[in-house]
Amino acid sequence: MKPLLRKIFLLILGMYFLMVAALVFWQVAVDLGKHPLNPRRYGAFRQPRGAILDRSGLPLARTLMAGEKYVREYADPSVTHVTGYFHQRYGITGLEKAFDARLQAGQDVYTTIDLRLQQKVAELMGDRVGAAVVMEPETGAVLALVSCPQIDGNSLDDFWSDYLADQRSPFVNRAVQGLYPPGSALKPLVLAAALAGGITTADAHWTDRGVLKLGEEAISNHQGQAWGVITTSEALAHSSNVVFAQLAVELGPALLDALRRFGLGEAVLFPLSQSSGRLPSAAQSAYGWAQIGIGQGGLLATPLQMAAAISAIANGGKLMRPYLVQEIKGGWRLRQAQRPEFVRQAVPQWAAADVRDAMVLAVEKGTARAAAVRGTVVAGKTGTAQTGSGGDHSWFVGFAPAEKPELAVVVVLEHGGLASQTAAPLGGQILREALQLLAPQDM
Amino acid sequence: MRRWVVPWLELAGWLGLAVLVLSRRQYVSLWWQLCAIWAGLAGLAVLSHCCGFSHVLLLPAALLVSLGWIFLHRLRPEWAAQQFVGFLVGAATYCVGLFGGWASTRTKYIFGLGAAVLLALTWVFGVAVGGAKAWLAVGPLRFQPVEFARVLLVLFIVRYLSDNQALLRQKRGLEAAAYWGPLLLLVGSVFLLLAVQRDLGPALLVFAVYCVLSVAVLSSWKLAALYVLLAVVGFGAVQHIFPHLGTRLTAWLNPWQYAETAGYQIVQGLFALNSGRVLGKGIGAGSGELIPEVHTDFIFALIGEELGLAGAVAVVSLYLILAFAGLRLAAGSTEPVEQYTAVGIVLLWFMQVFLVVGGILRLVPLTGMTLPFLSYGSSSLAAQMWMLGILSSVGRVRSK
Repeated sequence: MKPLLRKIFLLILGMYFLMVAALVFWQVAVDLGKHPLNPRRYGAFRQPRGAILDRSGLPLARTLMAGEKYVREYADPSVTHVTGYFHQRYGITGLEKAFDARLQAGQDVYTTIDLRLQQKVAELMGDRVGAAVVMEPETGAVLALVSCPQIDGNSLDDFWSDYLADQRSPFVNRAVQGLYPPGSALKPLVLAAALAGGITTADAHWTDRGVLKLGEEAISNHQGQAWGVITTSEALAHSSNVVFAQLAVELGPALLDALRRFGLGEAVLFPLSQSSGRLPSAAQSAYGWAQIGIGQGGLLATPLQMAAAISAIANGGKLMRPYLVQEIKGGWRLRQAQRPEFVRQAVPQWAAADVRDAMVLAVEKGTARAAAVRGTVVAGKTGTAQTGSGGDHSWFVGFAPAEKPELAVVVVLEHGGLASQTAAPLGGQILREALQLLAPQDM
Repeated sequence: MRRWVVPWLELAGWLGLAVLVLSRRQYVSLWWQLCAIWAGLAGLAVLSHCCGFSHVLLLPAALLVSLGWIFLHRLRPEWAAQQFVGFLVGAATYCVGLFGGWASTRTKYIFGLGAAVLLALTWVFGVAVGGAKAWLAVGPLRFQPVEFARVLLVLFIVRYLSDNQALLRQKRGLEAAAYWGPLLLLVGSVFLLLAVQRDLGPALLVFAVYCVLSVAVLSSWKLAALYVLLAVVGFGAVQHIFPHLGTRLTAWLNPWQYAETAGYQIVQGLFALNSGRVLGKGIGAGSGELIPEVHTDFIFALIGEELGLAGAVAVVSLYLILAFAGLRLAAGSTEPVEQYTAVGIVLLWFMQVFLVVGGILRLVPLTGMTLPFLSYGSSSLAAQMWMLGILSSVGRVRSK
């Protein structure tokens, strides 16, 4: 009987050594500590992590002690699309990811965001789906970057499955990743290109009959409205498709160059992962150019790109690189500061000034009347972009005060409908609140 | 065995408690349960010793049970409390195993049929708890029959093999079929009952134990070759019948590719083990909560993380010691059926350990079973204690 027991024991011993060998392999021989999916990589939950702060030093994200562990706390759900989140189970995104090494080293990241403005803009957006960007035209600093629906970095555990199930994809940061046809919100850029290219002047006269035949096809104004004899500035104010189709046809390939000079179709260096948008290839027909001229025809842009472009108009034609982080300091590593960065002169200063005046006209008596703010002069433009499926997207792009712009605002509302009634009033509200918040405090 | 073992048991218990308190630096609300487990096991050791049974097996088992309790308490104190109830039931089932004896020549069919009937009842009247319909409720009592059914079946198999050993070896053709019939019928029906309930882990375990037992007892390599063939064919067939087996298989072969879906559990288990390195992070310092089912199937990964390679190897070694002690007891007996019983139980333990630990270590596909004595589960612990009792009673012949 002994041989039987010996055989069984040898079998068991074989299994034992297999397990021990596998244990040695997995526990000592390999190192999975750096594997991207390993949640222990964020072992930083056992050490303090630097904070992410707004422009005045208010914390957007900070690490607090909770018992033996550190917990990452976010100021508000509105900031999560900016800061991203840092979670043991769900990983790391946004600025948390972009500056992970710095934060882990205990350094603080100072952003250009104004927390009060960010919260205000998010509050004004309410439960609408879309994005809003507030920028300082002179520098390209992003003061507010809101994407709705928001996610709440403080309660990912509670709502993760809800977020995943949400048809509106709350994880997408629409302000930097959302791709939208700009529609008529593109017209200020088209006008700038046309003026700079010498194709027209601001007070040239046009006859607008409401419809423009281009071969087999036709371009018409909103509800076929005929504006009669109008100047180029008035054409922008009333958002005349007929006039802008003609400008685009005359510009031809020069239009695409101009849009590229405004930064459309290219991704800039930005700490949040963004889409580069899309510039269509050269159109094959007059109708094709006309489509591009009114912001359709396969042209796609992100709200951040539009904010940078409209800031260039506000800034005398100088395109600044948008930036979100102004300084990283603290801890043992070197301090790093981001200065405003001039990219290029997109259009001559006089052309930008003419476009600005036309946009002021749009707010005074055109489609963007709802964006007017008492006590200041607002320059603005609406856009109602056809989407191919679902309701139209509504845009507002603008800046104030028109003479010496302090703020540029871009708002997109997905399937928001007629922009003059949705995006324009929201844009005006944001401008009013932002000007109030950022005005120098009286002593 | 030696008298001094009993005080040592007590001492080890207090040491375990000290480790727990020191590594967590927090109030252990249920500390008295750990003491009670040790006192209970020491009591069982004294009882076994006085009645002429072996008590050597109780030491490794006690270490495993208390280690399991400590880790369950570290995960969630309610689980430890529930496990304590399982241990109390287990103390009773240990005595049943110790004094109740095993299947006799006459009663063996009751055992075999009992296994099949238990599983059939589960199939028909089973209650679903947490997805799997593996529970049977009798009044206020709720238990998982599969844990007990496989012990019953193994007791039947060993008695049947020892009763018919010579005949099974000699007979050929139709006559052989008559002798193989009842055995294959019962083993086959239990296997099928487990398979239709998608409880493929125990099915695989029962099949493996049966194969090793029959090959070893009849010492026939032809039989072994036949089983291997059968396993390969059966595997192909089963994969067609149960599509979810395919996902388990791909998760086993390539967990990294499916790291966020089918392979999630395996990958998280490997991350946990790997982060433990040689000496571990210390009890309570790991991130075991991140692994799904960490308290049952994957408690070993947590131990590997918090006690390191040293602790993981120690745990596997405890099972080896348990198996070795069991086989030593078998060697001391002159009754073939006692030896086969001991071998059957040792195989049931160690193969289960291999399937569970090997599953975590990617040696075999994941089967979803508990780790004997360690994992959360009152039924499992009670059944393991029963087996412990049966195995301890093998030593009686020598002690007398």
